[in-house]
Amino acid sequence: MNSNSNNSNNQKKRNFQIEAFKHKVVVDPKYPEKTWKILEHAIQEIYNHNASGLSFEELYRNAYNMVLHKFGEKLYTGLVSSMTYHLKEMSKSIETAQGGLFLEELNRKWIDHNKALQMIRDILMYMDRTFIPGNHKTPVHELGLNLWRDNIVHSSKVQTRLLNTLLELILRERTGEVINRGLMRNIIKMLMDLGPLVYQEDFEKPFLEVSADFYRVESQKFIECCDCGDYLKKAERRLNEEIERVSHYLDGKSEAKITSVVEKEMIANHMLRLVHMENSGLVNMLLDDKYEDLGRMYNLFRRVPNGLSTIRDVMTSHLRDTGKQLVTDLERVKDPVEFVQCLLNERDKYDKVISLAFNIDKTFQNALNSSFEFFINLNPRSPEFISLFVDDKLRKGLKGVSEEDVEIVLDKVMMLFRYLHEKDVFEKYYKQHLAKRLLSGKTVSDDAERSLIVKLKTECGYQFTSKLEGMFTDMKTSQDTMQGFYTNHGAELGDSPTLVVQVLTTGSWPTQPTVTCNLPAEMSALCEKFRSYYLGTHTGRRLSWQTNMGTADLKATFGKGQKHELNVSTYQMCVLMLFNNADRLSYKEIEQATEIPSSDLKRCLQSLACVKGKNVLRKEPMSKDIGEEDAFFVNEKFTSKFYKVKIGTVVAQKESEPEKQETRQRVEEDRKPQIEAAIVRIMKSRRVLDHNNIITEVTKQLQSRFLANPGEIKKRIESLIERDFLERDNADRRLYRYLA
Amino acid sequence: MGIQKDRVRLNVGGKIFETTATTLAIAGRNSFFGAMFDDDWNLQAGTATDHLIDRNPDCFAVLLDLLRTGELYIPSNIPEKLLYREALFYGLLDHVRSAKWGPFDGNRLRLSRSITGRAPGDGTAIRAGPDGGCCVAHGSMVHVYDWMLDEHPAINLDYQRVNDAGWIDSDSIVISACERLGRGDGGMGLFSASTGELRYKFNVTHDDQVKSYTAGALSFSSDDKIFSSCKGRSNEYGIGVWDQTTGKQIDFFYESPGWSLGDADKLQWLHGTNCLLVATLFPRKDNCYISLLDFREKKMVWSWSDIGAPVFDERLLDERRVRDAIAMEDTGSICVVNEYEDLGFMDLRSTGGSVRWSSRSRLMKGKMPDEPCYPKLALHEGQLFSSMNDSISVFCGPDWVLTSRLRRSYGGSICDFSIGGDRLFALHSEENVFDIWETPPPPIM
Repeated sequence: MNSNSNNSNNQKKRNFQIEAFKHKVVVDPKYPEKTWKILEHAIQEIYNHNASGLSFEELYRNAYNMVLHKFGEKLYTGLVSSMTYHLKEMSKSIETAQGGLFLEELNRKWIDHNKALQMIRDILMYMDRTFIPGNHKTPVHELGLNLWRDNIVHSSKVQTRLLNTLLELILRERTGEVINRGLMRNIIKMLMDLGPLVYQEDFEKPFLEVSADFYRVESQKFIECCDCGDYLKKAERRLNEEIERVSHYLDGKSEAKITSVVEKEMIANHMLRLVHMENSGLVNMLLDDKYEDLGRMYNLFRRVPNGLSTIRDVMTSHLRDTGKQLVTDLERVKDPVEFVQCLLNERDKYDKVISLAFNIDKTFQNALNSSFEFFINLNPRSPEFISLFVDDKLRKGLKGVSEEDVEIVLDKVMMLFRYLHEKDVFEKYYKQHLAKRLLSGKTVSDDAERSLIVKLKTECGYQFTSKLEGMFTDMKTSQDTMQGFYTNHGAELGDSPTLVVQVLTTGSWPTQPTVTCNLPAEMSALCEKFRSYYLGTHTGRRLSWQTNMGTADLKATFGKGQKHELNVSTYQMCVLMLFNNADRLSYKEIEQATEIPSSDLKRCLQSLACVKGKNVLRKEPMSKDIGEEDAFFVNEKFTSKFYKVKIGTVVAQKESEPEKQETRQRVEEDRKPQIEAAIVRIMKSRRVLDHNNIITEVTKQLQSRFLANPGEIKKRIESLIERDFLERDNADRRLYRYLA
Repeated sequence: MGIQKDRVRLNVGGKIFETTATTLAIAGRNSFFGAMFDDDWNLQAGTATDHLIDRNPDCFAVLLDLLRTGELYIPSNIPEKLLYREALFYGLLDHVRSAKWGPFDGNRLRLSRSITGRAPGDGTAIRAGPDGGCCVAHGSMVHVYDWMLDEHPAINLDYQRVNDAGWIDSDSIVISACERLGRGDGGMGLFSASTGELRYKFNVTHDDQVKSYTAGALSFSSDDKIFSSCKGRSNEYGIGVWDQTTGKQIDFFYESPGWSLGDADKLQWLHGTNCLLVATLFPRKDNCYISLLDFREKKMVWSWSDIGAPVFDERLLDERRVRDAIAMEDTGSICVVNEYEDLGFMDLRSTGGSVRWSSRSRLMKGKMPDEPCYPKLALHEGQLFSSMNDSISVFCGPDWVLTSRLRRSYGGSICDFSIGGDRLFALHSEENVFDIWETPPPPIM
């Protein structure tokens, strides 16, 4: 205002004399220097902890003015050199700190610098906001960190010392000493504040290298003197220690890196040696059920590449070996029930290992399954044995066992069943065994039987079980038929023997070609009556007697008047009834009178005359085996403390060799139409296919029932070609064409 | 006692102000007051002495009021520029900006200022920045204005024609430009808004070779991608995709035959459906093509074209010609506009539909101004804007009822407009003038 009015006054006085307006205030040439001195002094005072006398407003205004008057560059370079100077001073004091005080001094100076930096940035806020972005400069805070990094952390006298001190402290902590973790955390935090690159280059990288060396040596030491379990415990502890260290004073991103170092040095490098360690390796852990050790091994090995597959491979080969031994052990094969029980036990054992130690790992379960599948099928009799096991359980084994337990046993059996390649063989045997159980009324629980059928049905489909279900239906219908027979004919039958007939549908049952024996006269009359009754109620049917499958209860009186009820087979009945009219009969006579097939007759006589305690007949000469020249008498001296005596037939529970052959043959015979059906189904949809693909597809389609033999498939294809279902391609002989 | 201690006496340029440390603390730590009252500076409030601040007291009064009330009232005797400079001194510029105008509402807009530029010829595009600034593309120049409407050094593209521009953040502008044959330039670059310097050039690579190309329309996605329609020399016709942080090309959607993606006039990233709307319109092509691209599946998931549309009456042709298109994700539709500012709608959920024109009979029809500008569309928070000649219409509600019209008396037709930073910028074709429309701060009660 003043200068303005002066101006106008002058104008009036000095007529029109225009003076150039001094719009540019002459800046004192020393102005920037003076202002900077003030600011520099302030920075010094700040670093000297002497800031209380400073005026923020004045300093801020000075810095503002410098920027405003285009001395920003001077201000900035001044700041750099001034801060550098103070940092060099700090560096000296850090360098002279002795021993353990080094880190503390460094930390103290770092705190000081940070505080000073904040205050300096407060003063220079205007420069930070306006001058720096437009002039490609580093903002004050970042500049302060960079200068600290260059003048302190990277100074020749500090850099290595700092690193060595940090590594030394960590080593001491690893060997059990207590260190000042708070100080460590502050120093590491400083490195992190200086940027990820500083932390990584100045600390993390060497830290990882030193750690690798440390654990390499330590693991070597441990592996020489510890057993596998102890070693794993130690490795686990080290791993946890490192994770804990990271959480206490390192950058969280280091965790993955340091753990991978420990994993590599302590686990990956010694993996095979650990697994195969004598007397304490994986196999021993499995044998001794060391779930805790196994679990530890799993958890540690899963961290390293190929760790789990190593465990899995060793477990698989061990399992296959023991399994192979088990199924090919001749002693075990003698007792099918024991054989299957052993398999179940083995399976339970590994199930437990996988669920307790291996985290219910799917890949381990798959390995377990494939191993079982591998060795169960090594023994061609496995299907038979499994059926026998079920037979045994359903005959007697399940008495007094709760329903849930029955289910558990059956489920386990089904598990084994799933492993079988030849499910159709199982079906054959199962049918036989079921037939015996049903006909002899030996089955313990109808519910258990049916439940198993349902399981088989869900596993293999309706087709697989339809015949088995037919057997159950027959049993029920037969009951009704017998009831009808006795209501109609009961009166006229009087006191003739009681007849029970099971009418079996042909095809559903494992019948053998009928060789009817001669029944005693009383019986055949009764049978005739039944036949006419049955055919009278059901037209268009044919009945043939399966005398080889029946049973009879006979009342017999022996020499001293002792009365017994004998439970025998139909064949045995026929033989015994002959002695109502004779005292002595030769083998030939018996054979003639009954017409029982000789192998059956021999077995039958053997059971009547040669089993101690059950020998209702006497044989001459006395011997274990039946000869064609032998003669038989009623054993008048027969005694038993029971009124009812069951005379078993000497039947090998397992099949005899020719029977086995026969079953085998029948199985092969049954497979043919199934293979053909599969081929036709596939060709119908594909029209043209080459040989190898047919084989693959057929095998795939049938594998739920059996493993089709490629040779057999080839034969079936040829048979189909002969019958004009297929033809070979004229151009490419490997191709087959479907003929509609 | 607590209240006593809170008291602060300031002597600003000779004038005494009494206030509280609490009020000043609203300025934030990163300001003059925040630093001044920090413990480090040992300046406890409540000390007897006045704190001298050697600044303009009148401006300080305005700024102190801003801290006290959150509202900005600039007395007529204080030039805005002066106030801004004082605010910059105290570190309060952000406070001033956010108090200067209110949250955007198309129906309450007031003309705040008009800026007259010096560029010759027609403007190509105007783009609002995220903090209230804007950039105006003219030929091969892009003029940049900050929110105080101070012009910064212009971005000079060395005689290449600018096609489109867009803001990545308040200091970064992406510009797409034409290729000049044989020079290997053109394409797309990232520029500093404050200095106008080129920071980064985006490349198109085809078969591992860097290609020269013309970049057309731009769009930006919320997950830091940049999309641009591209025309290269050989096969590089289509939509290029770049990563904003790395600057690397991450994808390229090659043009399907007969579908002009590389020539697209408009790209719009649809956040909800993760698709890009691409519209190529008359007169760049004889026909209009609108499509939605899904880059994850490399598929055109929606498309529409007026090729083969039955023309019953030649005169109707112009009326049915789409001049701009915009997707409205909330309603699952695309809005289009013809040259008479009739709006039409298409369903985004089914492809192959037709346009439902809402015929708002306009007197305009038939008597166009000397230099007509074709309509442009914009969408902002449920309000639809369309420019037509010298005015901008605002449509609201589910049926898009016309609710406001922004018009100014000179400058001629509006050739482009843009909404951003709670402001609407409208660029006129004749006088090289652009207007800034703002919503006034909310009423006191």
